[in-house]
Amino acid sequence: MSRLWRRNRHWVTPALFLLPGLILFGTVILAASIETVWISLHDWDGIGAKAWVGLANYVELVDDPQFYVSLKNNVIWLLIFMLAPPIGLALALIVNQRIRGMRFLKSLFFVPLVLATVTVGVVFGWVYDPNFGLLQLVFSAFGATAPALLSDETFVTFAVAAAALWPQIAFCMILFLAGLNSLNDDLIAAGRVDGARGWRMLRHVVLPQLSQVGFIAIAVTVIGALRSFDMIAVMTSGGPYGSSTVLAYQMYQESIFSYRFGYGAAIATVLFVIMIVFIAWYLNGLIKAERSNV
Amino acid sequence: MSSVELRKVDKHYGSYHALKTVDLKIEKGEFVVMVGPSGCGKSTLLKTIAGLEAINSGQIVINGRDVTREEPGDRGIAMVFQSYALYPHMTVAENMGFGLRMAKRPRTEIEAAVKRAARILRLEEQLDKRPKQLSGGQRQRVAIGRAITRSPEVFLFDEPLSNLDAALRTQMRVELSGLHAQLGSTMIYVTHDQVEAMTMADRIVILNKGRIEQVGSPLELYANPANIFVAGFLGAPRMNFIEAKAVSVEESAVSVAAAGLPALSFGGIDVGGFSAGDTLTIGIRPEALHVEPSNRAMPVFSSRVRLVEQLGRETVLYVDASPLQATNSDSGTGNFTLQLNKVSAIGVGATLQVGFEIGDAYLFGPDGRTLTPRKPVAST
Repeated sequence: MSRLWRRNRHWVTPALFLLPGLILFGTVILAASIETVWISLHDWDGIGAKAWVGLANYVELVDDPQFYVSLKNNVIWLLIFMLAPPIGLALALIVNQRIRGMRFLKSLFFVPLVLATVTVGVVFGWVYDPNFGLLQLVFSAFGATAPALLSDETFVTFAVAAAALWPQIAFCMILFLAGLNSLNDDLIAAGRVDGARGWRMLRHVVLPQLSQVGFIAIAVTVIGALRSFDMIAVMTSGGPYGSSTVLAYQMYQESIFSYRFGYGAAIATVLFVIMIVFIAWYLNGLIKAERSNV
Repeated sequence: MSSVELRKVDKHYGSYHALKTVDLKIEKGEFVVMVGPSGCGKSTLLKTIAGLEAINSGQIVINGRDVTREEPGDRGIAMVFQSYALYPHMTVAENMGFGLRMAKRPRTEIEAAVKRAARILRLEEQLDKRPKQLSGGQRQRVAIGRAITRSPEVFLFDEPLSNLDAALRTQMRVELSGLHAQLGSTMIYVTHDQVEAMTMADRIVILNKGRIEQVGSPLELYANPANIFVAGFLGAPRMNFIEAKAVSVEESAVSVAAAGLPALSFGGIDVGGFSAGDTLTIGIRPEALHVEPSNRAMPVFSSRVRLVEQLGRETVLYVDASPLQATNSDSGTGNFTLQLNKVSAIGVGATLQVGFEIGDAYLFGPDGRTLTPRKPVAST
């Protein structure tokens, strides 16, 4: 027994540790993805038999005006979300100062991360309420009437994305705070001796050390923008008239409400392909960074 | 080239008193090495001179100008860090030119300064490389080059060689001494390595627990340590210490006794501060101990060899001389360390008669102060 164990432990131990993760990843991610692509080639109501339709679902998607609304909204989400890394960095730089009371302020900034997304959605729903919301209070202070943001086709996506931006900023801030905490003290000291201070210290000595963290913050934010779903479900259910849907929400609607699992799977596959592009870029960047660190 | 003056510099970290009223004047063009055990405050002292650490009271004066409240970049200093602290995202040339760039100097001037430093340090081939493409010794040279390009009034070195391997360290030691001769700048160098201190310094500053124990030329400190700490710190192998009782104290003479040693009489002693019955310490350097001395007048004790180290030209013996007790942090309590300037055939287990000249021994008072009179300093 002991000899068998000694001879094989060099691979048995790592294999045992890897197994749970591999099983989970294999079923939840790999198998599910392949299954989704398979379903997208069928006409299926989710209960009965699947009928093979080939690429018909994709052909339909190309002609579906709702698909382009979703796609456009995803782009809007992406652009708005891109504010999160710079704002998060700025907040992290402010909160990182050694000033009395900063610790309390820092914990306040953590709050949106602790809240469930649904809670954030509900709270912002109230803020935007044109009758008794905070926004209405601000507008009425200037003698104006607040627009009903969530029922306005033009503004609704911006309003929802702005609400979702709040926890995303907090998330980026935490990433940058961690990065600021692991700055190399000697490099900062060397910068001070070299006469760099203020903006130039930030630009030439601090920010280059945060490039790794910044890259992660951007990548995570891009993926977060593309997979946006819950805020839309809570705040608008895609309305008014489907004007605030994104791909993930449209997929959910087609599958669950319209019993068109095949069509929903086709949308999911398209979203997956878009994501793959960003993920490939992300992985490429990570590998490059790791290689240059050797 | 500038002088540096520390006036009553005090530094606290919370309740920890890191620097205790440090007074020191460093002359223009001097190479001063600050040395001491870890935690003695030498790096802190260097950082206060650089301005990286604020001081609680006192004054720091560089070239006659009070810089106590000035930012590091305004003090006219350059610093070489133990970790090199090169900017990883910049090339060698950008690293070396960064200080001048921050000072908004014209590009041609920066390029010229970088080229000059690169030539001095033989880095011309490496200018376009990033720090991580360089070896440890090259990185060290870039860090020094970054200091040179700023043509500072004072160079500060914070244990710059401790991350290098032994061979490279010796080479860089020689190069740094050469650089000092070439530039003639004031250099302040912190190390825990007494070989670096002895070989490079014009003057050594010995620090212990935030206080300066002694300042002087390497050979002066070696020959005439002011107290037992300096005596034990400088010299490798370390000095042997023997606890002894003052038997009788007369005017400028004291006779001491230690178990296993004949009674010894020291002359020319400063007898203030202790009296008969007090515990004193006798100190003898390993090279001052003689095996089987021919001089019958020498105090002699017998010992057994426990370990022999052959260093090529020298032999170091660790001997047990009980009942005579020595304290020596190199050989362990109870053991003496002997250094012979020759290859020796003495083996482990041999019994030896060991003797010393009374004039080579030191006597330290109950407070650790050196009591024996000045010894002549070996001339260079």
